[in-house]
Amino acid sequence: MAVLEEPIKEVLTIKNYIGGEWVESKSDRILDVINPANQKLLAKVPISTREEIDEAVQVAKETFPMWRNTTPLARVRYLFRLKELLEENFEEVSRVQTMEHGKTIDESRGETRRGIEMVEVATGIPALMQGALVEDIAVGIDEFAYRQPLGVFGVIGPFNFPFMVPLWFIPFALACGNTVVVKPSSEDPISQTKIAELAEEAGIPPGVWNVVNGGRDVVTGMLEHPDIEGICFVGSTPVGRDVIYKKCGETGKRCAAQCGAKNFVLVMPDANLDRTIRSCMTSFYGNTGQRCLSGANLVVVGEGLNEHEFNAFYDKIVNAFVKSASQIRVGYGLDENVQMGPLRDTKKKNRLIDVIQKGIDEGAKLLLDGRNIKLVEDLPHDAFLNPSVFTEVTPDMYIGKEELFGPIASIMKAKNLDEAIDMIHGNPFGNATSIFTQSGKWTRKFVHDVKVGNVGINIGIVAPMAFFPFGGMKDSFFGVLHGQKESIDFFTDRKVAIQRWF
Amino acid sequence: MEITTASAAISYITTVEENSAKLYENLAQKHSEDKETFLSLAKENKRNEKSIKYAYYGVISDKLEACFCFENLDTDNYSIKTELSEGIAYPDKLKELVDTEKKIQKFLLDAAKQSKSLVPDVSWILERVGKKRAKRVATLESLLDKGAK
Repeated sequence: MAVLEEPIKEVLTIKNYIGGEWVESKSDRILDVINPANQKLLAKVPISTREEIDEAVQVAKETFPMWRNTTPLARVRYLFRLKELLEENFEEVSRVQTMEHGKTIDESRGETRRGIEMVEVATGIPALMQGALVEDIAVGIDEFAYRQPLGVFGVIGPFNFPFMVPLWFIPFALACGNTVVVKPSSEDPISQTKIAELAEEAGIPPGVWNVVNGGRDVVTGMLEHPDIEGICFVGSTPVGRDVIYKKCGETGKRCAAQCGAKNFVLVMPDANLDRTIRSCMTSFYGNTGQRCLSGANLVVVGEGLNEHEFNAFYDKIVNAFVKSASQIRVGYGLDENVQMGPLRDTKKKNRLIDVIQKGIDEGAKLLLDGRNIKLVEDLPHDAFLNPSVFTEVTPDMYIGKEELFGPIASIMKAKNLDEAIDMIHGNPFGNATSIFTQSGKWTRKFVHDVKVGNVGINIGIVAPMAFFPFGGMKDSFFGVLHGQKESIDFFTDRKVAIQRWF
Repeated sequence: MEITTASAAISYITTVEENSAKLYENLAQKHSEDKETFLSLAKENKRNEKSIKYAYYGVISDKLEACFCFENLDTDNYSIKTELSEGIAYPDKLKELVDTEKKIQKFLLDAAKQSKSLVPDVSWILERVGKKRAKRVATLESLLDKGAK
């Protein structure tokens, strides 16, 4: 199978998009954007200054009255045009994601489709942001509730879904009548540049959609800016909780911070083994484990089994899991037969190598060692790790407790469903969890009892559609309203009017 | 060539449909007596290609197991040829076409079966296109019968 053609042919200079103009940053701090699969330079991205974020917010603020008074129908017509352009450029933007992030082409196309889905759902805003009316709250008096946009919102994107995640928020913010300033991840900023180019082509008025590339200064600038009404953030828990959420509280901003995870996947004795294992491969190793919905701890549950049966069931699961994981084809994501790409960069790989050693030091058993690099083609090993599998992991070990964000699976045992749920509740995160079973009784109990935001039943990646909120509890989410459809409440304020005519 | 991912399968199958369409269009030029039949088969190939792409691009999502939906699906086991042997008589061409259509059908149905629980929309369209192959086989066999009479 041939490697698909690369859409980026020469090194790009990433610019900021402010007030409808593509402007080069004045910053002297420039970072390289490297294709993690072949280590080729793709782009140069600026670490913009505080003045540049201030300028973008000012422009977005000045544009807000015009955009807010553009009718919802007219606003969504821009989004319809954007949706068409995204469809036309579907393959190109997907391949760009693979080049800048490392994920496989199937994964990139999945990301593109889910991003477009957000735009599609946001085009329903004339119906979705309707208010309420009750006639005759007293004789001759009516009461209305409106939803009104607030102003400028900041969107801070993560490296692991460079295309899709900012789209969890931007289309809804815009459709509701707000303006945005987007800060893409400086590790893979090209996708957001491409989307902004398409937004410009769609005719979205200058100043409505702004992009400022950068790092901490840009984020701090957003958080401290008095004219930003709210922040949408997706990233790690320490940053989301201790920086974003805290600062938004101090400055009175709305905050939706979707953060880290440690997701438990339960396999019950009646699970369909073949389908479960294949689903687990996507869950644990899809996106090279770099997603907040990835499976991390596989819990083999011995509900209703005696000790001998439980041990036999456990061995069967472990053997099947290790066999499948060891067969995963690792390589460049533009090779269509590759099932897992590299990590985003070498630094992340080196951190995971330390994590693997830590697991060994803590007494877990490394059954499959991903440090032994085996690729389907000749590529520099810099950012690659193969799948790893640990057994004899306990929930208090570092590898059983912390978010690893890489292709490392920890297999655990629980005597019964209650014990498995207790394990999940003992962990500070609450982003996603799955159960593989044919039992309605176990499923009902699990879905009812487990304190986790996204729950899968025979689904390894519990990715909510755009027309559902993207859940998340405990240390996985900071805020009140989640992304996707629920963000319509986030991006609007309620105003009540009571009227009487003399 | 072993196929493991949805992307690889879609690329392979749509290439087969594209090449089949070209093959039938060429045959329509060379064999005017069966021109309409060959052109309609070519048209169907193009429709299939489009339907398969729509299904894949329309539902591909990060929640589906697109990278892990096939196991032991090797194109070498099917020997699908979308070119005819050179210098053979018309009835032999028809026999080769029947053979190829049967192989494509088997490939499509096997691929559909393997991906059923993992990428169900893709599986569904592969099965539908695969099942329709039986009608194409019957059409080509009827041309063979017509020639024999």
